[in-house]
Amino acid sequence: MARKEIPEINAGSMADIAFLLLIFFLVTTTMDKDTAYIRSIPKKVLIQNNEPVEVEKRNICGIQANNKNQLMVRGELMTNPDDISERVIEWYTENEKKNDVTNNFPMYSSISMSDIDAQIAAAEKAAEDVENTPGASSEIIDFKWKQVEEWENKKKALKLLGKSELREIQFQAHVRIEVQKQTAYELFAKIQSELEEAIFTLRDDAAKDIFGESYGTIKKRYDSNEGDKSKQAQTNEDKQKLDLLKILYPDRFIEVTPKR
Amino acid sequence: MSKFKKDGNNKAPGINTSSLPDIVFMLLFFFMVATTTKDSDPSVTVVQPEGVRASDMTPYKQRSEIDFIYLGKPRNKARAAEFNMGFALFLDNVAQPDPGDLYGTNTIGQWKRDKFNSKPTSMTKPIESVITCVKADQDAPTGIIFDIRKELQEIDALTIAYSVRDKGNI
Repeated sequence: MARKEIPEINAGSMADIAFLLLIFFLVTTTMDKDTAYIRSIPKKVLIQNNEPVEVEKRNICGIQANNKNQLMVRGELMTNPDDISERVIEWYTENEKKNDVTNNFPMYSSISMSDIDAQIAAAEKAAEDVENTPGASSEIIDFKWKQVEEWENKKKALKLLGKSELREIQFQAHVRIEVQKQTAYELFAKIQSELEEAIFTLRDDAAKDIFGESYGTIKKRYDSNEGDKSKQAQTNEDKQKLDLLKILYPDRFIEVTPKR
Repeated sequence: MSKFKKDGNNKAPGINTSSLPDIVFMLLFFFMVATTTKDSDPSVTVVQPEGVRASDMTPYKQRSEIDFIYLGKPRNKARAAEFNMGFALFLDNVAQPDPGDLYGTNTIGQWKRDKFNSKPTSMTKPIESVITCVKADQDAPTGIIFDIRKELQEIDALTIAYSVRDKGNI
């Protein structure tokens, strides 16, 4: 019995189909990526505290912009917004090596390993005390244990740093962005951009100094390896590095809601 | 007698197009990989300001952990007067019956909650960490951004992102 030959399928229209798909994807997608500065909004406070917390002037790095888009950094008028990052870096680093009481920059404190151990013990005791107190709300207990965790993280950071002391910026020190209602978003975004640049520069210098690789490299590797089980060790190591850099140069930015 | 054979009606051979689909598929795959889907065409015009060192939002988009708010002047100029200082909001897809709808800041809470509730429970992160990305026009007054912040604070959506066009590293 003769085998019947299967006729060849005509693939001439395959190109047309592929073109249709191609054009569909060209139309419905975009090339440009979205980039943004991620910030967190403070939680809504239910109980109004009438006595505002006193913060020393030296601990505030105030960046103000008014309705006419004029800019002021730490009480000084600025004409070129590109200089903000330099001023912020100066604010961070002026007292970093050695405290100078006479200047107007935030203080640093030196914490040694034994200090940290003592703090951990004290924080743990406080947390247990609160836990054993009848009627203590779970929020307070959580908060106390979080403090313990913070000190544990500092201990890890100091170990990684490999020095006898950890130089840490005053805990109240923060960058404060004050704008007015009519300030253009362009200027607001520029301030954010300059802050990000300042923090990046500081952390990058520290990273090169301590680990011999750039902050950007560590961060990128951490982001791409996150969730990958086979690279767990590397991820943990990178996380600790990033934590240390964050303790050295914390990004505490406060955005003040404008009144005018 | 000529050495060369003369052939009067000799046609040019047809070009072999059998590899054309392969080429087109290659292009297709390139575009599928290199691009992301457009979420919506906003009915407000937004010219973004520039900035450096901004974080890439693509991973959040892929996990749909991000909601976009566009803040700009309405494309339909006649409608600008309805809004605060001529700037209107355009909220991305879900829960928007008419794509031409524009909003003021008071609708953000509802929109954000609707979007949050419409996601399957297995996918949801706590609402505090779902990013709200504000794509604002460079001339938009910052006061509106802070109004948005206040609305988000009311419903405990505590992560905001200020969108900029990345200038690249200098």
